[in-house]
Amino acid sequence: MYWSALIIIISPLVGSLLLLFKPFKTKISTSIIGSISIAISMFLSLLFLITFLDNPEPVNTFTVYTWLESSRYIFELGIMIDSLSVFMSFVVTAISFFVHIYSIGYMDKDESYNRFFIYTNFFTFSMLLIVFSNNFLQLFIGWELVGLSSYLLIGFWHKKESAIKANLKAFIVNRIGDIGLILGVCLVFVSSQSLDYVNFFNSLSYLDNKSINILNFNFQVLPLIALLLFIGAAAKSAQIPLHFWLPDSMEGPTPISALIHAATMVTAGIFMVARLSPLYDQSFYVLDIILIIGCFTAFSMGLVALVQNDIKRIIAYSTISQLGYMTAALGASYYSFAIFHLMTHAFFKALLFLCAGSIILKCHHEQDISKMGGLRKVMPITFITFTIAGLSLIGLPMTSGFFSKDIIIEMFNYEGHTGLYYMLVSGIFFTTLYTSKIFFKVFFGPNQLDIKESEENEREHEDTIIYPLIILAVPSAFIGWVLFNPILFSGFFASSITDVVRTETFYLEYIFSPVNFIGHYFFTLSFLMLLLGGIFSYLMYVKNTALTKMIKDSLRPINNILLNEYGFTYLSNILIPKYSRKFANILWVKSDIKVIDDFFINGTAKIIFLISSTIRVIQSGYLYHYAFTMILGLVLFLFLFYNF
Amino acid sequence: MSTNYFPLLSLLIWTPILGGFLLLFINEKKISLIKTIGIIFTSIPLLLSLFIIYIFDSSSYSLQFIENRKWIENLNINYFLAIDGISILFILLTTIISSIIIFFSFSEERSQNNKFISLFLFIEGLLLGVFCALDSILFYIFFESMLIPLFLIIGIWGGPNRVYATIKFFIYTLFGSVLMLVAILYLAFKANSFLIFDFYNLNIDLNTQIFLFLAFLIAFGIKIPMWPVHTWLPDAHVEAPSSGSVILAAVLLKVGGYAMIRFLLPITTDAGIYLHDFLIPLSLIAIIYISLVAIAQQDMKKLIAYSSVAHMGFVTLGIFLVFNLVGNNQFNHDIADIGLQGAIVQMISHGLISAALFICIGIIYSRTKTRMIDDQSGIGQVMPVFSALMIFFLLANSGLPGTSGFVGEFMVLIASVQSNIFYAILASLTLVLAASYSLWLGKRVLFGVATNKIVLSMKALRNDELWPLLTLLILVLIIGIKPELVLNIINESTNHIIYSITDKT
Repeated sequence: MYWSALIIIISPLVGSLLLLFKPFKTKISTSIIGSISIAISMFLSLLFLITFLDNPEPVNTFTVYTWLESSRYIFELGIMIDSLSVFMSFVVTAISFFVHIYSIGYMDKDESYNRFFIYTNFFTFSMLLIVFSNNFLQLFIGWELVGLSSYLLIGFWHKKESAIKANLKAFIVNRIGDIGLILGVCLVFVSSQSLDYVNFFNSLSYLDNKSINILNFNFQVLPLIALLLFIGAAAKSAQIPLHFWLPDSMEGPTPISALIHAATMVTAGIFMVARLSPLYDQSFYVLDIILIIGCFTAFSMGLVALVQNDIKRIIAYSTISQLGYMTAALGASYYSFAIFHLMTHAFFKALLFLCAGSIILKCHHEQDISKMGGLRKVMPITFITFTIAGLSLIGLPMTSGFFSKDIIIEMFNYEGHTGLYYMLVSGIFFTTLYTSKIFFKVFFGPNQLDIKESEENEREHEDTIIYPLIILAVPSAFIGWVLFNPILFSGFFASSITDVVRTETFYLEYIFSPVNFIGHYFFTLSFLMLLLGGIFSYLMYVKNTALTKMIKDSLRPINNILLNEYGFTYLSNILIPKYSRKFANILWVKSDIKVIDDFFINGTAKIIFLISSTIRVIQSGYLYHYAFTMILGLVLFLFLFYNF
Repeated sequence: MSTNYFPLLSLLIWTPILGGFLLLFINEKKISLIKTIGIIFTSIPLLLSLFIIYIFDSSSYSLQFIENRKWIENLNINYFLAIDGISILFILLTTIISSIIIFFSFSEERSQNNKFISLFLFIEGLLLGVFCALDSILFYIFFESMLIPLFLIIGIWGGPNRVYATIKFFIYTLFGSVLMLVAILYLAFKANSFLIFDFYNLNIDLNTQIFLFLAFLIAFGIKIPMWPVHTWLPDAHVEAPSSGSVILAAVLLKVGGYAMIRFLLPITTDAGIYLHDFLIPLSLIAIIYISLVAIAQQDMKKLIAYSSVAHMGFVTLGIFLVFNLVGNNQFNHDIADIGLQGAIVQMISHGLISAALFICIGIIYSRTKTRMIDDQSGIGQVMPVFSALMIFFLLANSGLPGTSGFVGEFMVLIASVQSNIFYAILASLTLVLAASYSLWLGKRVLFGVATNKIVLSMKALRNDELWPLLTLLILVLIIGIKPELVLNIINESTNHIIYSITDKT
């Protein structure tokens, strides 16, 4: 077990290092090493998952090596194998495997083909480091390495100005979150004397009433830790107000967008909170904060997606919005629902991005959907798979997205968070609108870009691009239903997430069975919203003109706010960089140069120079000056001491 | 104390100095001969230091390789050399960086190469002397005299504004050292001995301690340097030739931190505890304010110089936190230890990373003849390997886990959370600030489209430029992935220091 888990983690790293040192020079070898190393991880993870589905084992932890030993403290890197890590590693490796296969075709013509696979393999490795971590230190290390990989990948095309701006922004915003994370980790260490998850969980009851003093305010330790760690999670999982790096990260190659948004990186925050569920269970007001941030993100970012025209940006905002749903589930203490939605979302969102990539490639790197159209006939496979993924995203009954998202929404109804429930439900309406916006504008209407239809025997793209689409369409459609009962309501997460009792009760009182859940759906608000969304999008994007124009005109002010993304774009792109630079400049010029250097240092030198140059006058070197002074002195002394 | 009869440490110190003298007699035109001699006389101390660390017993805090000879008998001044776990690390840092510098410095063109190399050999010997000497006067002599070769290096081979920079640098540091001499003399008369370890057992009242503390603090604070006495460093760096910057940033600054651990912590403990509320803010200002100033820089070298000051802020923070934690009622011995070790690891790590970054800037400068950030862009397009290396070191500079830059900062942060989480919140801002100035530099210099003709015609890395960087990269990674290797060496010694100062209070 230990060795298989170790191989899962190490294999992508080995792949990455092999590619770095390039023992084989050919392109094919790059593709093979890049994908095989992930494939090994994927198959082992799959085996793990199957074993665990059969019979979930309790938590197993192993130590890999001692990172640091300082007097009586030992910091170790290790592996934790339980249902949660197994489940996550399956999601991560599966998505990244298909993204790798897809990239073989997608990045084919890129001059830095090899470099791309070095980065992606390293990306997967860093994510697995987080997933299998058994302690906070490794969590932080993996966390930062994920940030590093995304930095490298978003800026993969390093000659593109927008890309190198976006990657800097992504890294720095993530670093803001990391401040919270590292402080949380240090606080964990100081309060429980260990960074081990298990040790920390064991000391929770002891820490329950401890408090800490900051500037004469008393804070309870546990909620403080939870809050600090959540700041890290919010940055990685793109929650308001630390979300604004994510839309810009679309500057990277499209497969990377799929990887960042589906399997790795953004899911890290959600995963961490679920992993630390015993801690979050005991930090009440922090859960409320998480809940509100989640709902707010889900609602407001769905709105922003509506006004975008760049296909990737729409999907990016959709990701933020969906992450909001997951965060909301976390905040309501239904951690496993969040993880479940994370999984289905990973599949259909990866598929959406890969479809987008396929479309962009066909349209010669045009990303504006208002310029596209009529691609239905040109790229039938992309059309079908996109449809499946899109339906899953909006949560059409029986698709994967339906099971995972709707259960979160219904849970809010069940728990009685009425206001937040309405917020999340209305999110469905917007989700439907922006999804159909892409759908209709890209695949229907006139073929504005004049893309030629493929010949009889010719596929729309190379096989390596097409097959991942087809394969990913399967879980996008079905995995939700297949795993609904086994994962959520059979105690699968019993040993790793603390919400078993809650979910069981919820199931017994509200769900009864998957079929019943589907049936019940048609009597809920969610269904109404879906219907409304469908009708409105038909009117707006197919029937077109009159209604769209009317709505657009009447909503112009709101439209502008949304285009500016509530001012975050302005704030993050112009205001903050400009004023921090200004401030830095003032500090340098005024304080460092003027005050310290000119006034104190050179000032002292000047005063000494002044004094010495005054005194120097006396020492003229002329004998008669000295003689004169001597005589003057003598006369003076005479007068002083002589008694007249 | 075990006495070793073979004078290994003397050999270590005087070989490079001998080599330095030898080089003065060699014609400056014979480059290859100069190179051979330079490499031989830095390799010997390198091998010696590796041998020393191999036979060094890290399971004990006691002094090893002791050499004790009467020197000035009338005054009871001894030629006393010995090392413990802390000194050996700095010795290793010195020999490694010196070898790298000698190797690298031939990649730049200059006149009077023999004198240039010989001055570096002098500096190496004197630095090794500082880290070995345990007699205060001997220490003082080494501490002072290493200014002279650097003064000459900047003064002779420096940039256009070198005169101002050298005088500023020299007077600044000399000013501090004079105060230190006074403090040493006072302690010596009190202890009736010049041995540093005899100072540790003195009972000095608090008022006197405060004066002593301030004298030492000014001396070492200027050296390291601390805010607000840091302004000599950017000027010195900007004017110094690349190799000079490397030795200055990588090792010379560390002397200040090393001396703080040797003098401030054990001798003036009470004063430190009394003053810690005033000391820690100084370090925090260095971390935050200096990082912000670094963001504003237009000159690559100045930027890295300011970043050095900010990183040294973490070193002083780690050291001063020991006072805070010792003075605190809820004293936690082991966490104070983590802070002190963090400070040491941070010094070693910064030595490696800043050396690499100054080498990188030297490489760019030797091709474009300008250090201004705005004059370059898109170097990644013409020199991909170099850019990858430089980005790696910039990331390490911003404290990325897996590199050595993370280890020290993490340990110091733990100590600061223990003492006061408010300090930790302020100190942790470095995560964002260091990333901002480091990566923004990377973005402007390495990424983007190369438009400048000079940039477009840049030549690929040569071997004597590549190997120093690769060596440093490997060291940075090793410390980052397995810091245990470093901690093993210093563990007992830092433990001992903490125990001995806890006993005093």
